[in-house]
Amino acid sequence: MSQRLAFLLLIKNDCGKDGQADAWLEFTLEAEPEDTVLDMLERLRGEGRPVPAYRHSCHHGSCGSCGAVIDGVPALMCLTRAFSLAAPHARTIGGPLTEPAMEKDGRITVRLEPLAKMEVLEGIAVHPGRLFGDIPDGLSYLVCSDAKDKAELPPEPEASSVNMRTIQKGWRQRLEACIECGLCVAVCPIKIPFIGPYALAAINRERTKYPAHEKDMLAIADKPDGAWPCDRHLYCSMVCPQAVYPAKHIQLLKNSLLRNRKS
Amino acid sequence: MYLYFGLMLKAEVSKRQDARICIIGGGGTGAAMAYDLALRGFSVILLEQGELTSGTTGRHHGQLHSGARYALGDRAIARECMEESLVLRRIAPETIEYNGGVFVAINDEEADYANAFVNACQESGIPAREVQVAEARSWEPAINHKAKKTVWVPDGSFDAFRLPLAFFAAARQLGADIKPFCKVTEIEVKAGRAVAVNTQSLCGKKEEKICCDYIVSASGAWAGMVGKLAGLDVPISPAPGTMLAVQGRISDMVLSRLAPPGDGDILVPQRGLSIIGTTQSLADNPDCILPDKKEAAFLLERADELAPGFSKRPVHAVWAAARPLAGRTSGDGREISRDFAVLSHAEEGVAGMASLIGGKATVLRAMAEKAADLVCKELGLDAVCRTRDYVLPSWRSFYKAGSR
Ligand SMILES: Cc1cc2nc3c(=O)[nH]c(=O)nc-3n(C[C@H](O)[C@H](O)[C@H](O)COP(=O)(O)OP(=O)(O)OC[C@H]3O[C@@H](n4cnc5c(N)ncnc54)[C@H](O)[C@@H]3O)c2cc1C
Ligand code: SF4
Ligand code: FES
Repeated sequence: MSQRLAFLLLIKNDCGKDGQADAWLEFTLEAEPEDTVLDMLERLRGEGRPVPAYRHSCHHGSCGSCGAVIDGVPALMCLTRAFSLAAPHARTIGGPLTEPAMEKDGRITVRLEPLAKMEVLEGIAVHPGRLFGDIPDGLSYLVCSDAKDKAELPPEPEASSVNMRTIQKGWRQRLEACIECGLCVAVCPIKIPFIGPYALAAINRERTKYPAHEKDMLAIADKPDGAWPCDRHLYCSMVCPQAVYPAKHIQLLKNSLLRNRKS
Repeated sequence: MYLYFGLMLKAEVSKRQDARICIIGGGGTGAAMAYDLALRGFSVILLEQGELTSGTTGRHHGQLHSGARYALGDRAIARECMEESLVLRRIAPETIEYNGGVFVAINDEEADYANAFVNACQESGIPAREVQVAEARSWEPAINHKAKKTVWVPDGSFDAFRLPLAFFAAARQLGADIKPFCKVTEIEVKAGRAVAVNTQSLCGKKEEKICCDYIVSASGAWAGMVGKLAGLDVPISPAPGTMLAVQGRISDMVLSRLAPPGDGDILVPQRGLSIIGTTQSLADNPDCILPDKKEAAFLLERADELAPGFSKRPVHAVWAAARPLAGRTSGDGREISRDFAVLSHAEEGVAGMASLIGGKATVLRAMAEKAADLVCKELGLDAVCRTRDYVLPSWRSFYKAGSR
C-alpha cells in the first residue's frame, strides 16, 4: 500500500509584475501515495529547499486558497493526491486520460503553474482579487442546512442568544458550498469582459435565498459583462471542487432575464 | 454596505495616535490585533511570512468554543470562550454555522461525569443543560444510540479562514498595512528597546527595514523563534494535532465526548464535511507540520464511538497544525492551560515589544484587546478597545481592495 512514489516537480517561477522571466524550478522528492501536492510542497519547504511562494491555509479543501494548474488542469493542491498523479490523468479539462510523464529514471513529472487570469505574486501564489471584483461584498454566505427528518433545534437559552438576524428562526445553518477558490474563473475560456462563473453563481444563490434581492441581482447579471458573455463551455462546472455547478446558475440567471424581457 | 449588512455601523477611527506598531504574524491573533490597534488610531503594519492564516489558524478544527470543553479545569478560558463566541456571532455572523452542540457520554464513567460537567459549565456562564438522549438523537440521529447521557451546549463551528480574514478586511479599511509573504528575519534592539524589524519578501527575497515604536509578536507556535530574533526566551510549546475530514455532513451540531479533554473527541461539521479531531504531540519546529498517518486510523475509530458509521465515509483529507501552547512542559503538554498570555519583554531587557501567545482561535478578539491594552499602557497612550461594537466587513473586501 504505502509504496513510495518518486516525483520530479516542475514549478513555474514567474515573478509577477517584478518582471523576472519565466523559469521552471525543479525538485526531486518521494511521496506516499496518499500525500497531497500541498504536502509535497510543505515537505520541500520544511527541508529548506527554495520552493517559490504558494498559497495555502486549511489543507482540507475549505478555504479555497491553494488552487494551481496541476499538469494542465486547475485543481486544489490540498486535495490532489500523489497516487492520482501517478495514474493516467487528463491534461486538459475533460480531456482523455493520459499516462503520467516520466523521466528515464522513473520519476513522475508533475508541472505546477499559477491559476490563469489572476495576478501572480511569485511562483504559484496569486492575488485572487479579480474573483471578488465585481460583486457586492455583502452577499450572504449562510444557507439552510438540509434537516431531512431531524427534529427542530432547541430554542436558545437567554444566556447564549444573540440578537442577530439569522436566515430564519429555527433553521439549521451551514456555510455555502462555494469556497471561492477561483478555479472556475481561471478555466473559463471567455476572453471578452466577463464577471465570471464564481460571481454569477453567488448572485444566483443570493436571489434564490432572498427573493427581495432578486431585482438587484438580476441587474448585475444583465450588464454586458454579466451572464450574457457565457457560451456554455461548461468548464467551470467540470473543474469546480465543490459541485457548485456555476454553469447551471448562469443558465438560471439567463432564463430569468429572458422571461422578464418577454413579460 | 450592502444587503445583509444593512444594519452595520461603520467602524471609524476617532483619534489618531502618533505611534507605529509592527505586528509579526498573520494568523487570527495578528488579524484581530491589527484591527484593534487600527481602530484605536495607531498606524499598523502586519508582516506574515506566508499567505495570511497559513500558520495554525487556517487549519484548525473550526469549533466555535462555548468553553464547555474547558469548564472543568480551565475555568478562565472557558469563560472567555463563552463571552467571545457571543461577540463573534454578532460581529462576524456570516462566517459561523451556529447550531449548538451536544456532549455525549458513551460509557458509565462518562455518564458519572455529567453532573460535575453541567455545574462547571453553569458556573462559567455557559448555559449547558442535560437533555434526554432521545431528544438529542432527534436533533442529530447520528449520535450513538448507546449514549448514556447527553448535554446541550452553545457550541458552533466557523470558517477558520474567513473569520480572521474579516478582521484583516476591517483593519485594512482603517488603513492598516497588511503584508503577506513578508518574513521577519531580524529584530533590531537598540539601548534596550526594540526599534525595527528586517523583512524578506517575494521575488529575489527583497529586504526591507521597518522602523516602529512597538512590536507585537503574534506568531503563535513560532513565538519562540521570533523571540530569539530579539534575544528573548519566550515560553512556548508547539503542539501538533492531526485532523481528519470525511465527506458528508453527519450532523449540524458539534458533537463532543462528555469527558475530560482528550484525543479524537470532537466532531465538527463544516459545509459538506465532518471533521474529527484531534491528537496532541510536541514539536520543536512548527514549520511545515504534516499529519501522522498512523493517527488517522485512531481518529476514525474514535469518531465511530461518537457517531457510528463515520469511518465508512470516504476520507476527504488528513492534515495537521501546531497549537501554540503558552508555557513549557516536561510531559505531553496537556497540563498547560489553553488560556492565553500577553508577555511584556521590558523586564528581560527588551522594551517596546510583547508576545501574545496561547489561547484559541475563538478568543482572538479578546487576546487582541488585552495585548492592545498593554501596548497603550507601555506607550503611555490612552485609547480604549472598540472591537466589540461593529459588525466586521465581509472577508471578500480584503482581496477585492487592490493587489498585494
Ligand atoms: C489541531 C488543532 C485544532 C484546533 N482547533 C481549534 C478549534 O476548533 N477552535 C478554536 O477556537 N481553536 C482551535 N485551535 C487553536 C487555534 O488554532 C490557535 O489557537 C490559533 O489559530 C492561533 O492563532 P495565532 O494567530 O496565534 O497563530 P498562527 O495562526 O500560527 O499565526 C502565527 C503566524 O505567524 C507567522 N510567522 C511566524 N514566524 C514569522 C516570521 N518570522 N515573520 C513573519 N511571520 C511569521 C506564521 O507563519 C503564522 O501564520 C486548534 C489548534 C490545533 C493545533
Ligand atoms: S463555484 Fe466552484 S470553482 Fe468556482 S469559486 Fe466556487 S468552489 Fe471554486
Ligand atoms: S489549502 Fe484550503 S483549499 Fe487547499
